[in-house]
Amino acid sequence: MTMKSTDDERPGSSRHSRRSFLKGVGLAAGAVAVVPGVSPAQQQPTDPPGLKTFGSAKQEITLSINGAKQKVEVEPRTTLLEALRANLNLTGTKEVCDRGSCGACSVLLDGETICACMMLAIDAIGREVVTIEGIAKDPKYAKLIDSYCEHDAAQCGFCIPGFVVRSAEMLDNNPTPSPEEIKEGLSGNICRCGTYVKIFEAVSAAKGRDIW
Amino acid sequence: MAPVHSPKAPAKPAANPQEGNGHSANGNGAEQFYSVGQSPLRVDARDKVTGQTQYADDLHFTGLLHGAIRCSDHPHAKVLSIDTSAAEAMEGVEAVLTAKDIPGENQIGIIFNDQPLLCDGHARWYGERIAVVAARDPRVARRAVAAIKVEYEPLPGAFSPEEALADGAPKIHESNILDTMHVRRGDTEKGFAECDVVIENIYRVNYQEHAYLETQGCVVVPGYGGSMTIHTSCQCPFYVQKGVKTILGKQASQIRVLQSPTGGAFGGKEDYPTEPAACAALLAWATGKPVKMIYQREDDVEWSSKRHRMAIYHRIGASKDGTIKAVHLKVLEDVGAYGGLSTVVADRANISSIGPYNVENIHVDTYCVYTNNLFGGAFRGFGAPQVTFAHESAMDKLAGELTMDPIALRKKNGFREGDTMASGQPIPGRVPLIESIDDATTLANWEARRAEYDAHNATNPLVRKGLGAAAIIYGVNLHAGGEYINRSGAHMRINEDGSVNISIGLTEMGQGLLTAAVQMAAEALGISHELVYCNQIDTALVPDSGPTVASRATIMSGFPLVDAAKKLRRTLFHRAGEMLNMPADDFDLANGKFFSKKKGLSAGALLDYMDVVGACFAKRENLTEVGWYRTPDQPWDKATGQGIAYHSFAFATQIADVEINTASGQIDVKNFYCAHDVGRAINPNMVTGQIEGGVVQGMGWGIMEELHLREGKALNPGFTDYLIPTSLDAPKIHVKLLEDPTVAGPFGIKGIGEPSLIPAASALANAISHATDHHFTELPITPERVLMALAGVDQKMLEPAVSMSW
Repeated sequence: MTMKSTDDERPGSSRHSRRSFLKGVGLAAGAVAVVPGVSPAQQQPTDPPGLKTFGSAKQEITLSINGAKQKVEVEPRTTLLEALRANLNLTGTKEVCDRGSCGACSVLLDGETICACMMLAIDAIGREVVTIEGIAKDPKYAKLIDSYCEHDAAQCGFCIPGFVVRSAEMLDNNPTPSPEEIKEGLSGNICRCGTYVKIFEAVSAAKGRDIW
Repeated sequence: MAPVHSPKAPAKPAANPQEGNGHSANGNGAEQFYSVGQSPLRVDARDKVTGQTQYADDLHFTGLLHGAIRCSDHPHAKVLSIDTSAAEAMEGVEAVLTAKDIPGENQIGIIFNDQPLLCDGHARWYGERIAVVAARDPRVARRAVAAIKVEYEPLPGAFSPEEALADGAPKIHESNILDTMHVRRGDTEKGFAECDVVIENIYRVNYQEHAYLETQGCVVVPGYGGSMTIHTSCQCPFYVQKGVKTILGKQASQIRVLQSPTGGAFGGKEDYPTEPAACAALLAWATGKPVKMIYQREDDVEWSSKRHRMAIYHRIGASKDGTIKAVHLKVLEDVGAYGGLSTVVADRANISSIGPYNVENIHVDTYCVYTNNLFGGAFRGFGAPQVTFAHESAMDKLAGELTMDPIALRKKNGFREGDTMASGQPIPGRVPLIESIDDATTLANWEARRAEYDAHNATNPLVRKGLGAAAIIYGVNLHAGGEYINRSGAHMRINEDGSVNISIGLTEMGQGLLTAAVQMAAEALGISHELVYCNQIDTALVPDSGPTVASRATIMSGFPLVDAAKKLRRTLFHRAGEMLNMPADDFDLANGKFFSKKKGLSAGALLDYMDVVGACFAKRENLTEVGWYRTPDQPWDKATGQGIAYHSFAFATQIADVEINTASGQIDVKNFYCAHDVGRAINPNMVTGQIEGGVVQGMGWGIMEELHLREGKALNPGFTDYLIPTSLDAPKIHVKLLEDPTVAGPFGIKGIGEPSLIPAASALANAISHATDHHFTELPITPERVLMALAGVDQKMLEPAVSMSW
């Protein structure tokens, strides 16, 4: 049995940790609040690019989502997850725990998997965000999508977009992961239907490997 | 490893006891299936994998408001006053409602009228709803509920069944005992007197949180004349309909429930979704606008039902040769503040508590006790996993006392053909229990592996290995107590292009029902499954078919589909007869080809399905039918627990293989070996997936998942500290399906959803006991409990002193 880290860091990946998220909040909140545990010197308050003013009011920002520039009106506190779901109708990214502990809201940020619930929308300015909708349309991942379907990896399906996003990144970085690497690589995502066996089969078959 | 799937040659399904299952596959007495038994892709797989599936929270409507709920700040209190003025004054708030605003009856209990939707002055737990709010923004709605001022007079609480039963306990309801169930067979006093070995234990099992990834949620949209359309994530749309009509004082016809794709349920969306739906419907009624109610994760854990906490006082005795002579149990079920489904859960626990064994003398008392804790309800297994932990742990302990192999003890006492259940009913049909034990032990290489681990453990104090088994009998479908709702309907319509629409009365929640229904409908009609489309359930389209629970969905969809198909085939055969000037009763239809029943398909196809459909449309024939099925009666004597508890039974054996680090208490689950009697697998790939998932979920309850409560308050209501299995925890799972479709449902099917989970935690407990040489009496067996056991800390010293009173 393995204990989940409360510090949402995946082994072998450079995901954003809870700590870096807190730093992000500190940046976004600017001079308004000092985040406990982060000294003022560490905060280095610099404006996110393209963001003119701070405050609680909504403001228009431009995000790069699935390869296209999208203008959205968000409050500074709006998470990337909220912006994707409520503002952009990209509902394939799911809200499950809202605490960065389940992986259901996984998206790619500059090619790395992050939990969209743990990042503010304004912190994604100037970064490339790819959601499940983008991955589903990208021919590069067709085999992966097919494999998830063929191996019956989705039961209720609520966690599956997050798994697909994470699998895509994993295979991008390592086209031939070992069974252990697959298990470890996906350990930040939770599936309550418990279809892990079929998910492993799907991911390994996507690269023509038989792990079980 | 690939699942071991070795179906026997398909046998002819036996007639259903009531109406016959109506299926004659391809005539000529030779059964050959084209869709059933295949593993086509799940019909909704691609939408789920690509994120296109629209769950409740993904729906949007113009003018949508967002609902929020304010709950009690005390586990037990009188509510003296509620001040909603600050909430009402907030910008964006459109309604703040309390009990006095309910137009119908303030009652949401599913079986007992013991639960108000909104507090009637007496708050009995932290989840007691005080008020509901609708606002234009979900954040504003949540701020508004927090701004409601409530004045309380706190009352003393009772936080365990033992406390609630004690003299002078606070009164939660008129009586703190909601109900009692019993089993009486033979004479246990005489039975125990004949025993050479008697063992006694108090087994304790803790709550399990469903942790479905999609939280409770719905959208309620007002329609004309005060009607409501409800999109909800649920298992039982007809329960939602009944609850909402009661609260709003409407007729059932005015409340239309459309099940939205459901992101996990596991029992947690059986009765509970009625509550958020009723709150949202009340707000929609008050504002005239669509209202969405989506729970935050923490609220979901704190307010919704859980697998019941139970204390099981267990005494079992056997003679020297291993023959079980008597079993005496007292089961205390922690109901929580409201009845919900607790009595029905207790019914299953009560009658499942002996396990799959012949016992002449049985005495079981099951008490459903109100407390001020969060409330227990349905959870995959429905009371059976709790008592299974007790009887399967006791079997291993008994085997140890008798110096018998645990498998040998199970086989000595296990059910065989013609044996009698604890309910006094002869078990119908074949009883492949021993076969399942043999298959699981063969998969696990039991004897050699046990001996190897014993030798290993004798010389390796740091890493110990264990192998443990658990066997079950599972009553498929509803218990006798649910007979009154055990029926179902289905619609089937052939369109002009030959495609077929079906509507069923049960819900898809990830188990694959839509796909199984499509396969069964295609098979029953005799066409390709690619022509069949099954919609997610809509109460406006199908009759009330009861709840999607008790592993009954495939059976209770299959029967009425077969019935509807039979009626359509009659029309098609009549038309074919007219076309070829042949008697209608000489036709059969399989895989889209009409052929002579007498001569068989090998003699050649006579007509194509499409030609006959075209001819029917040309003649303006009716090609829409309704199928219906009701289960045979289930006479039941509650005082003795004797009667027809269930009409068919499934058997299973699971074996767990573990490694334990004695320094850290870490349990590494290496393998699970599972042999399941499934009757017939409609879709073997999905059945295997159900078993794999059930094992992982049962494993979570067995060794990881522990919901901590302090005075009724959940202390870890989220995924950061309520740990459920991840990919790193999942073991290798080896599955063998036992197929013998001679009894039970249409095509010979049984149910698999629940049996897949029930033995898992018990098998693990026995494996851990084998590895550590310690008898565990409480779940979950966390690393902490392993370390305490290894350090010789007596678990009983850490618990309140409880005498073994009967």
